Amino acid sequence: MRVLLIEDEDNLRTQLRDRLKVEGHVVDTAADGEEGLYAGTEYPIDIAVIDLGLPKLSGIEVIRRLRAAEKRFPILILTARGRWQDKVEGLEAGADDYLVKPFEVEELLARLRALLRRAAGWTQATLQCGPILLDTSAQTLQVDGQVVDLTSYEYRVLEYLILHSGEVVSKTDLTEHLYEQDYDRDSNVIEVFIGRLRRKLDPDNTLNPIETVRGRGYRFALERGS
Amino acid sequence: MQSLNLRLTLAASLVLAIFLGLAGWALDRAFKDSAETAVREHLQAAIYGLMAAADMNRQGNLSLPEGLPEERFQRPGSGLYASVIGADGVSVWQSPSQLGQQLPTAPHLPPGEWSFIRLPSESAGDLFVLSFGSAWELDKQNLQFTFSVSEDPAAYAAQVSRFRRGLWGWFAALAVGLLVAQGLVLRWGLSPLRRVERDLAAVESGNQEALTGTYPRELRGLTDNLNALVKTERARLIRYRDALADLAHSLKTPLAVLRGAGRHDGTGQPLEQLVKEQTERMGQIVDYQLQRAATSGRTTLMAPVAIAPLLQRILNSLEKVYAERQLKLSLDVDSDVQFRADEADLMELSGNLLDNACKWAKQQVKASAHITMVGADQTLVLSIEDDGPGIAPDQRVAVLARGVRIDSSVPGQGIGLAVARDITAAYGGKIDIGSSPTLGGAQFQASLCSV
Repeated sequence: MRVLLIEDEDNLRTQLRDRLKVEGHVVDTAADGEEGLYAGTEYPIDIAVIDLGLPKLSGIEVIRRLRAAEKRFPILILTARGRWQDKVEGLEAGADDYLVKPFEVEELLARLRALLRRAAGWTQATLQCGPILLDTSAQTLQVDGQVVDLTSYEYRVLEYLILHSGEVVSKTDLTEHLYEQDYDRDSNVIEVFIGRLRRKLDPDNTLNPIETVRGRGYRFALERGS
Repeated sequence: MQSLNLRLTLAASLVLAIFLGLAGWALDRAFKDSAETAVREHLQAAIYGLMAAADMNRQGNLSLPEGLPEERFQRPGSGLYASVIGADGVSVWQSPSQLGQQLPTAPHLPPGEWSFIRLPSESAGDLFVLSFGSAWELDKQNLQFTFSVSEDPAAYAAQVSRFRRGLWGWFAALAVGLLVAQGLVLRWGLSPLRRVERDLAAVESGNQEALTGTYPRELRGLTDNLNALVKTERARLIRYRDALADLAHSLKTPLAVLRGAGRHDGTGQPLEQLVKEQTERMGQIVDYQLQRAATSGRTTLMAPVAIAPLLQRILNSLEKVYAERQLKLSLDVDSDVQFRADEADLMELSGNLLDNACKWAKQQVKASAHITMVGADQTLVLSIEDDGPGIAPDQRVAVLARGVRIDSSVPGQGIGLAVARDITAAYGGKIDIGSSPTLGGAQFQASLCSV
């Protein structure tokens, strides 16, 4: 997922950025409100983490302008003062959740996962499509009740496809939204990964969960639910 | 114009000057008019006297006797002159007083007409001249003569200037008197303000607790509010001091634990977990004390806050945060319920209670509020119910101290309820915990009193 992180405190920003990358996200960072607003309107962001006390443009204002610019991605606000007035104002401006500083990074990651799922229309932490069951909190995959091992990148690709199930996802989308540490960003690599995923999900070639849409990309074709 | 005294003095002086000026001008005019009328009447009497004394012979010549009733006509240069001119404008007679003087001649007038004018003369200034056209009958013949009497204006001018001196002298004395009186009235009228200033300085320097004097009714609103402000500030100061002291004391325990962990002897908890636990606890302590210091508490200077929209805003926010759990949040408050309190305090209180309810609820949370009156005192009763597991009676006291008691270090528990309890206490109220009669879970009932 592509995460926009707007936080003016250097330490916290770097720490969160590194952690989000380890989790497989593509991260855009901004140290002030103006920069953040620019990134939010110009890049294909999936989710944003915005601190309320920002220089140049307050977090509330950034959220307001993003929503005014028809940006619909989920927004999580960070607030140093845990006052309800701030929280309510932030949520009224268009944020979807809040976290009071100091917080555990694990907590932030869990909230982000939940927001992404919610934005894609899933209410449960486990995403089930036919025999395929993806547990987003444990980050595991089961096919027909059997645990299947995935590498971190394979998991990300599959999660992205399922969260966008029914939509065509291009190779560019995947490279823009998923951070992949060990390989060059080369479309052939993605084909190789998709091939491997297909074999792991559907060893007998009966389900065909990931369709190839010629010239455009891939589509996760299984219906939601069991 | 920073001084009330200066303002009032300037304004009053201006009004005084305008008033006295106009009054003086009017009096002056009136006096001059009446003096002129007196001159005219006097001249008219003289003309009647002359006409009565005049005599006409058979040839139609008019003559006046030597001994005229008015002595001043006889004396040359007396200032009162008389003359008679015929219809052809030729002088028929001049009074002896006119001897040796060049006086302007009045024009001839048709019979029965009066003219009162001022004519310039070389020797005697502007003369008042009254003329009357008369007709005399002689053998069916109508002869016309104009009688004129002139008077030197010196007496008139002296009278007017004497009057003016008197008038403006009195007015100046009056103005000075009024200004002095006004100054005294101001001093007396504004003295309570000076007293308030003195008392306030005493409060500021700590010699006095409050403004204790008796003040005029108009100032009492101000002094009462000042007293309330002083009281609030003092309470706030005490709260800050307490919060600071509490903060320092309560941070000592986790600090001691961490210091002890530095001398690690291999027993006990792993260092990493210990640091995590203790820093979390310290964070909570800081949050809690910060919140306590920020609580405004009740004061007299609060605007009423509409409760229903405030609760609705929080419910909307919580609906968003707990969207995944699809809770049913309902509000039961009359739209006219208002309460004098700090809006941030009310928001913090209801936010914490509602958030807690949402955490424990299975599906439903209900917020309701109403006002009860005890005499003139208002009490806001805020009730938050949920359909969660509820709280056992023996736990109910402990729950409100959760997260902040020095000996309680259950990680992951918020300080929300402790904050709610403190805010309620700051409004002289309390939180009662019971079970919800309609939803079956816990019910938190906070009562807040206003002053």
